[in-house]
Amino acid sequence: MEKKDKFLEEHEHLISDHDYDGIRELNNPMPTWWRYLFYITIIFAAVYMFRYHVFGDDLQIAEYNKEMALAEANKPKTAFDENALVLMTAKADLDKGKELYDKNCIACHGTLGEGNAIGPNLTDKYWLNGGSLKEVYHIIKVGKPMKGMLAWQNQLSPEQMLQVSSYTMSLVGTNPPNAKEAQGELVE
Amino acid sequence: METQHFSYDNKIVKFFAYATILWGVVGMLVGLLAALQLAFPIFNFDLAYTSFGRIRPVHTNAVIFAFVGNGIFTAVYYSLQRLLKARMFNDRLSWIHFWGWQAIIVSAAVTFVLGFTTSKEYAELEWPIDIALTIIWVVFGWNMFGTILRRRADHLYVAIWFYIATFVTVAVLHIGNSIALPYSWIQSYPVYAGVQDALVQWWYGHNAVAFFLTTPYLGLMYYFLPKAANRPVYSYRLSIIHFWALIFLYIWAGPHHLLYTALPDWAQSLGVAFSIMLLAPSWGGMFNGLLTLRGAWDKVRDSATLKFMVVAVTCYGMSTFEGPMMSLKWVNSLTHYTDWTIAHVHIGALGWNGFLTFGMLYYLFPKMWNTKLYSEKLANTHFWFGTLGMIFYALPLYWGAIVQTLMWKEFTPDGLLAYPNFLETVTQILPMYHARVLGGLLYFSGLILMVYNLLKTASAGKCVDNEEASAPAIVTDAKRGKSEGLHRWLERKPVQFMVLATVAILIGGAFEIIPTYLIKSNIPTIESVKPYTPLELQGRDIYIREGCNTCHTQMVRPFRSETERYGEYSKAGESVYDHPHVWGSKRTGPDLAREGVPGGKMYKTNVWHFNHMLDPQKMNAQSIMPAYPWLIKDVLDISSTPAKIRAMTTLGVPYPEGYDLIANEDLQKQAEEIAADLKNSGVEVASDKEILAVIAYLQRLGRDISVEN
Repeated sequence: MEKKDKFLEEHEHLISDHDYDGIRELNNPMPTWWRYLFYITIIFAAVYMFRYHVFGDDLQIAEYNKEMALAEANKPKTAFDENALVLMTAKADLDKGKELYDKNCIACHGTLGEGNAIGPNLTDKYWLNGGSLKEVYHIIKVGKPMKGMLAWQNQLSPEQMLQVSSYTMSLVGTNPPNAKEAQGELVE
Repeated sequence: METQHFSYDNKIVKFFAYATILWGVVGMLVGLLAALQLAFPIFNFDLAYTSFGRIRPVHTNAVIFAFVGNGIFTAVYYSLQRLLKARMFNDRLSWIHFWGWQAIIVSAAVTFVLGFTTSKEYAELEWPIDIALTIIWVVFGWNMFGTILRRRADHLYVAIWFYIATFVTVAVLHIGNSIALPYSWIQSYPVYAGVQDALVQWWYGHNAVAFFLTTPYLGLMYYFLPKAANRPVYSYRLSIIHFWALIFLYIWAGPHHLLYTALPDWAQSLGVAFSIMLLAPSWGGMFNGLLTLRGAWDKVRDSATLKFMVVAVTCYGMSTFEGPMMSLKWVNSLTHYTDWTIAHVHIGALGWNGFLTFGMLYYLFPKMWNTKLYSEKLANTHFWFGTLGMIFYALPLYWGAIVQTLMWKEFTPDGLLAYPNFLETVTQILPMYHARVLGGLLYFSGLILMVYNLLKTASAGKCVDNEEASAPAIVTDAKRGKSEGLHRWLERKPVQFMVLATVAILIGGAFEIIPTYLIKSNIPTIESVKPYTPLELQGRDIYIREGCNTCHTQMVRPFRSETERYGEYSKAGESVYDHPHVWGSKRTGPDLAREGVPGGKMYKTNVWHFNHMLDPQKMNAQSIMPAYPWLIKDVLDISSTPAKIRAMTTLGVPYPEGYDLIANEDLQKQAEEIAADLKNSGVEVASDKEILAVIAYLQRLGRDISVEN
């Protein structure tokens, strides 16, 4: 079956005995750039295997250890003194504290600090882990994991933890609706 | 030479074509539902049968095995007969194949919705269906090979090489990955655990893409593209080289799904190296396709069939460029677990498989029904809907993936994670999930236009169920001719061809899988890792039943951004008793590998888990996790415990002898402890409910290697 072909030059390249249900094949060489692409990837693969498994370049755990060491070396030296905390009262700080509270705390302590099935009420005068600024800051920092209180020191900076602490303490006495019953000791 | 008269079986092709269309509609509709669920969790309907974890495998399996599967068979049954000048070997086998395949699809959908799943991606089918699938696949191969042996054409055309490789490799992969020990008439545990299970799974998973979605469709392309364009294939030599290179190299690339995991480094590196080498062989197919159109580009302008095919082949080129790039470890560290992968596979599925199928159907219907396409204009509209749909689907996901991965990795100057709350990174990309729904909807609308167009075409003509044909009988010389090239000789030796193809695809798998078994140092033992308690095991099985691992990984990679967020990176020795592994491949939600570490970064109390399962949106208004209220209502089936423990013991999990008989006592004791703890926190729940098992399992995660232990 001969097909009408508008390319005479191509016609010469038809492989004479290749005809499959009318499909013909040309004997064009493989594109040069294609062959080179293939060679390059093969060389890449060989170099890759040699680099990591013969010459011993860093594998993933070594890479990780270096990443951690670098982070440790670059850790900022903080001037924040956790032994001399002062309650924040500036609106900017309290707003920032509220923002952090809304993002991180409402799931367990309620939108207004009223508490829920998980976390205690933060608005009354009863505290499970102490009601001083230092104690509130501490419980936010290290948490009480087995009771569900997360340690926030890996997520919040010391300043942020103080902002949340200060905001939380500003909630005391606000009497929100649906407040959870009192837990812990009374702190006046 | 004697001329023989026979007929082509078009009826079977017609049925496969209709099945392709039907399952295309179903599969994509379920895909739309899944997309909606990710954008708006309300579409999970708070029902077990319709929650995302169960819907997602229905979508993936429907598209891969039902839509593309039937597409493959349509192409093979049509082209094979014509390329070989022979009717299919046996009509009865053809029909067993057809109805058997459809029955498997239906049973797959039903079992997935009911929660029967092995949890292995694209191999979720449970053992009885796996066996049925094996039988039907053999029927297909038998029918195909019978036809090849009775052919009237001397040589096998390149399309048939791809069909043969497909048949052999899918059989090997399916059987290799599905070996499992049943513990009930429908359910089973895989014989592999942890690292080995992951390696075997992705050897399978990657090559399901290669040998189910790629090679048969390359065969399809090699037949339908030159036919539709009426042009000769550009380069026979390129066909040979890219065929053999592709099937040999593909098999090795599986480990690129496991980069930076606990898989041994050498296996990861092989995955990278071979993925890079796949670039040229893949592009060989694309260029042989596109260059075949040289001198026929004017036809492309006028023919919807060719337009679909050109875009399909281009998408193939894009996907196969992107794939090797994503296999580079530094790129992978950014894209893995994100929606980048989802966008990537959809360029392949919507572009390459979808468009090539559409092109084929627009070509086939007028041919088989002996008429003209009802509306070329409508087909063009479909083309634009499809193309825009793809763009609207993929671009938002690519964008979202970049945004999210950078958020995951960002640190503040204080050295803290900038977005420690995982949910923030989800909320940020939610608009992209919305846009994706729109893209899917566009693509789906195009599909509906095609259905209408093709049905109209069919009703205007009459399908020639048996198409008369004639051809001279072949006279083959068994010996290789003097001037006959080696490959030319091989092309008329189907058995030798198949054997050689089998050898080519076995090498890579053997080289990677066998050493992970034999070399002990690959998976260092960790003394403190112990088997699950019976309650935890039941909870693990519910975790799998609900498809939790479709959205939650359990594989902390060794990056600072992950160990800061989740805790210690995952070790190979931790999952030695995990039949199957549940490392996962996508983080729609956070990683759970360290969920149960007391005082760990991910630790939550029992009551938190309880409330969160009951109503995630109540805990976090913006959460997109489905609710699981039935876990709280349904009673845990503990009658299966002894059989499960026995199966695990057989697989080598060190439970004490006779433990199967007393396991339920321990189970109840642990359930009562958790129920008591919940009661202390103000939640009353009977100790026989499923939720307690799930909580027990979650609280176990990561605990084995934590310091407090």
